[in-house]
Order: sequence, then C-alpha cells, then structure tokens
Amino acid sequence: MIRSLNIILIFTSVIMLAGVYTLKFSIEHTASERTALAAQIESQEGDLSLLKADWAVLNQPGHIDPIVKRHQVALAIGPVQQKQFGAFQDIPMRPVKPNNSEMDALFQSLEAGIDPIDAILELEGIE
Amino acid sequence: MAVTAEDLSPTIALDGGRKIRGNLTQARIRWMVLALVLGFGAVGGRLIQLGMVVPDSTIEGQARDVITATRPPILDRNGLEMAVDIRVPSLYAEPRRIIDVEEAVAKIRTVLPDLNETWLRNRLTGDKGFVWVQRELSPAIQERIMRLGIPGVEFLTESKRFYPGMSEASHILGSTNIDNQGIAGIEKHMDDDNVALLQELGLARGNALAPVELSVDMRVQHVMHEQLVDAMSRYKAIAAAGVMIDVHTGEVIALASLPDFNPNDPKTALVKDSFNRITAGIFEPGSIFKTVTMAGALDSGSVRFTDQFDARFGVRFGRFTIDDFHGKHRILALPEVYKFSSNIGTIRVMQAMGKDNFRAFLSTMGFDQRVPFELPEMRLPTVPKTLSEVGAATASFGHGLSVSPLHMVTAYAAFVNGGNYIAPTLYKRTEAEAEALYRRVIQPETSANIRALMRLNAIGAGGSGSQMNKEALGYRVGGKTGTAEKVVDGRYSSNKVTNFFGSAFPMENPRYAMIIMVDEPKAENPQSGTTAGWNAGTVTGRIVQRVAPMLGIAPDFSPIIDDSFVPSAYR
Repeated sequence: MIRSLNIILIFTSVIMLAGVYTLKFSIEHTASERTALAAQIESQEGDLSLLKADWAVLNQPGHIDPIVKRHQVALAIGPVQQKQFGAFQDIPMRPVKPNNSEMDALFQSLEAGIDPIDAILELEGIE
Repeated sequence: MAVTAEDLSPTIALDGGRKIRGNLTQARIRWMVLALVLGFGAVGGRLIQLGMVVPDSTIEGQARDVITATRPPILDRNGLEMAVDIRVPSLYAEPRRIIDVEEAVAKIRTVLPDLNETWLRNRLTGDKGFVWVQRELSPAIQERIMRLGIPGVEFLTESKRFYPGMSEASHILGSTNIDNQGIAGIEKHMDDDNVALLQELGLARGNALAPVELSVDMRVQHVMHEQLVDAMSRYKAIAAAGVMIDVHTGEVIALASLPDFNPNDPKTALVKDSFNRITAGIFEPGSIFKTVTMAGALDSGSVRFTDQFDARFGVRFGRFTIDDFHGKHRILALPEVYKFSSNIGTIRVMQAMGKDNFRAFLSTMGFDQRVPFELPEMRLPTVPKTLSEVGAATASFGHGLSVSPLHMVTAYAAFVNGGNYIAPTLYKRTEAEAEALYRRVIQPETSANIRALMRLNAIGAGGSGSQMNKEALGYRVGGKTGTAEKVVDGRYSSNKVTNFFGSAFPMENPRYAMIIMVDEPKAENPQSGTTAGWNAGTVTGRIVQRVAPMLGIAPDFSPIIDDSFVPSAYR
C-alpha cells in the first residue's frame, strides 16, 4: 500500500513540477509580450507626439499666412475689407409681384399686332 | 538521621532503546532549528543589506521618470496648441561597458562632428554607469548612431517642449530648459504654481496632464506680431510692442514685443535686447497719459466736459516754460485740449484738480506698483511719491514718470469699460468671474466722457488719431497718441522718441483696449512725420482692420453711432 502511495506521490510531484515550469515559462512569455507591447506603445506615443506637433505647426496662423500670401494673386483673395460686410437691413425689399393678368393682356395685344407704344408715340407726335 | 541525596551513590540508569532514539531525535530537531534560524537569519540580513543600498539615480532605470516628465500642453482660447511635448531620443553612454574608448570616440564623431574630441574621450573613460553624450537629437541621427553598433552607447527617449508658433507668442510662453523646467514666461509661472510639484512627485508622466487654456487668441496674436514686424522695418524702429486686452474681463488677447526670441531655442531668450517691453519695460508714456489726467479731473468734478482753458501762453515754472508741440495758442475747450494734445491745457486741467488729488488718482489707478499679472518678467514703475508743482505739471502729460505699457492698457480698459479696474490675466476668465474682482476707479459718466474724447480724437478735424481712423474706418476706434521724447545726455531729444497709441474699439460700447509702442521710429517717407500718429497710430489702425472681423465686430459706417456719443460741437 505504501509503495503504491509513493508511486502516486512521485507522479503527482512530477506533474506538479511540470505544471509549475509551464506556468513559469508562460508567465515569462506574457511578461516579455507585455514589455514588447509597452515598448511599442511608447514608441507609438512618441510618433504620435511628433504628428501632433506637426499638426499644430500646420494649423498655426503664422504657418498658413505665408501660404495664403503666396497664392494671393492666383486665387484672387485678400484680407477682408470693410466694404465687403453687409447686413440683412441693407438688402432692399423684394419688389412687388408683377401684375400677371395685365402682362398677359399686353402679350396678347402684341401677338394680335397692336403695340400699345404706337398709340403713345402717335399721341406725342413722334414718328 | 535524615537520609539525604548526597549520601547516595549515583543510581545506575539504563535507558531503553526507545528513549535513546527519542533523545537522538530531539538533538536532530535542535540542529535543524539552528540550521533554519541561521538560514533565515542570512536571508533577513541580506534583505536589510539590500534595503540600505542607496540606488544610483544617474542610472537609466531610475532616472527615467524624471527625464520623461511632461508638461501640460498650452492651448490658446480657441483650442489651438501653443506648446506641446514631443519625444526625442537622447544619446547616453555606459563607460564601464565600453570596450574600446578610442574607437567609440572616433565613430561617434563621424555622426556628431561638433563634439569636442578630448571632452568626449574623458566622458567615455572611467567606470561610471551613466553619462549623457548629447541630448535631444533627431530620429535621423539616432538611426545613424545605431548603425555604428558601438557597445555601451544607447538612446533614451526624453520629453522636449516644442512651440509650434515659433517666435510669435514668445514673450507670453517664455521657454523651458533642457530638463523641461520653465525658465521664463507663463511656463515659469506654471512651474511656480504647481507643475514642478507634480513632476517631483512623479505624477507628471505620460500625456495625462490636463491642457492649460490661455486667454490669447493666436489669430490676433499673429496679426499683431506681423504688423509689429512690418512696423520695425517700415519705420526703421529699434523696437516695437503691443498688447490688447478684453476690457470687461481683463483677458490678454494678444501680447507681442520685438525684438523677440525663438522659444524652441532657449539660448536666444537670454539676449539682452529681447526683454518683454510690455511688462518688463518702463517708459515715459507721453501724451497717452493725458487720458489719465482727463479721467481723474473729470471724475473729481473739478472740471466739466465743456470747460474752457487758456492755452494762449506757455506755462512758466521758474526758468522753464512748457509749451505745446502743435500750439494753437488760443482758448481751448476741454475736448479740444485733448484733441490737439495741448500740454498747456492739460496742465491747467491738472491744476484745477489739484496736484495732490492728481497724485492720489495715480495711486488709485495702480501706477505705484506692479500690475498683478502672471508673467514673472515685471518691473516696478517709477512714479515720484510726491509731486512738486513742476513735477505734477510734467506728469500730467506723461513726462517725469515711467510706467509699463501694461499699466497703460489696464488703465485704458478701466476708463472705457464703465470705470472698473480689472487686473489683466493670461488665463481664461468669464465676465462673471471678472465682475467679482472689479474695483471702481471712476464713475460711469466719466467713462462715457472719456469714450467721447477718445472717439473725437479719431474723427474730429485735426485729431491726432485721424490717420489711425483712416486705416480702420468703420470699426469705431478711438484713441490717443503719445510721442515721448527720450532723454539723451541728460536732456530731452526731439529726434529720438518713443511713440505710443492707446486705443479702444468699438468705441460706443468698447470690448477691446490696445496699446501699441514703436521705439525710435524714422519717417516712412519724406512726406510723413515721426510723431505717434504716423507710426503707432497707423499700426493700430491696420491691426484693428485685420482683427475686428475675427473678433466678431462688423464695420458700421452710419454716422448715427458717432453722433450718439460724440458731441458734434467739438468735431
């Protein structure tokens, strides 16, 4: 009985030993993966900081202004002038709707060969 | 007889086998315990020993947190970056791991020829664990050194401050040193405030710090900087500076001073001539100070807007006679005194107020002390404690005392915003927050009168602000010129002048106040002059013309606005 117990114990310890080593190696593997990821994140953060800095430079008015000046002639642009501003109050009111029925009557009489202007001209004595 | 143990001979004791084994086991247990105690003692001793070791903080692993310490990004009022952190490689060496110093020196110098050979050799020789070779390199150089494959020479990523606006906002931002600590400007203020503490605690790591929002508008800042650069070359001036603040909140919208420096290259910040003229420069303000005299006198009630003053003859003080520059030599009404910038008239206004009252008003306006402001570069103004008769007379038109342009812009803001003194700030501040800090210095009616005077000077016939108004037509700018003669060899020189223009817009309900300074300008062409209207005035006009649309102020040409607050009698 003792012998079989010993065999069981030996097997258990061998299995546990193997298990512990597997665990150890897998943890080491995870740790190195984690380190690699951390390094990657850091390098990407570094790249990101450079890209952000680039973006900030490109957005600066001091960077855009010379570009605008360079293309000023070609694009016909310039700083806004006072006279280019307007307000809704400055827009004239919409003209009164044209009188459609009278226009129709005019066109019909023109089509019929009677030009109302002739009557006026005749009255004024021009022609 | 008593039986005592002594008399007995020792008894023969025979131990049984079981007992012998028991004793043996006991002895073994004792040895075991001893072995264990010794073993754990050794482990414990080693632990204590390790605990006593002082780590060498110059070695990479430990130094890392300090050198990658970041600073919060700085944004302008619209969220545009003014300062960001970038990661850059830095070259370091571990001399104890370098095998062939001569080879390493020769190889490094092929990529970095600027390094001194002897210095580098000394640097790499020895038994040290960590030495910097060259900090803050570019990724391209890093690549080339990596290719050399020198053992014991490696790279470390550091945080470096970068200012995308280059020199445009240099005097606002200041600069940082190689260890990422602020050495000037708002960067230094932030350190004094809290960033240094965060870095020390090791909390300032990564990009987790919340950005700092400034009150500056980079668009306006750009226009002001550009116009000042233009003024420097146009008028061949030795310096130019400008500041614009929101009159209701005290927020600084733009602040520039030329010559300036590039904050990305901190060495240039130490050049003597590039100091911040707005905060750290004190000047005799000249005639822009007449606005202060007028505000004080009108507010005291000793003069009224319609009063007349005799400006026919110069004012005599013993041997001196103070006269007018563009003398009208007639009796002038108060608005005309201001419009024609009459020294005589201003002295009479001050005298009506009384010199002691006038001096007290200067204290009320904060001309005795530094303006409460974030930038560390500040200088005390020099205003005499008590004013003599002649001292008060010259002070009334801005001579014999020196204040910074920041003092003047703060005073102008208070004069036009309804009479409330508000200390300027570089951080965002809402109107409600500002109102809690208001200190009343003049009455609202006086403020209305000052607004009328300033606008009159721009639109009235012969007003010194008319050239400015020509540039910024429609934006209702009002202002006052100041041409201060410089002291050369102990006397005032008429060809070396410092010119100022103090202004506010839109004048019927001002939102922004501005001071522009041009130092020692020359005439632009033979037809123009060197007084402030020709240079500081037109610069102001050009700036307003560009920035007013950005600030949401539309031009309005209708004369009704001016008629509503500028009395037509004095035009």
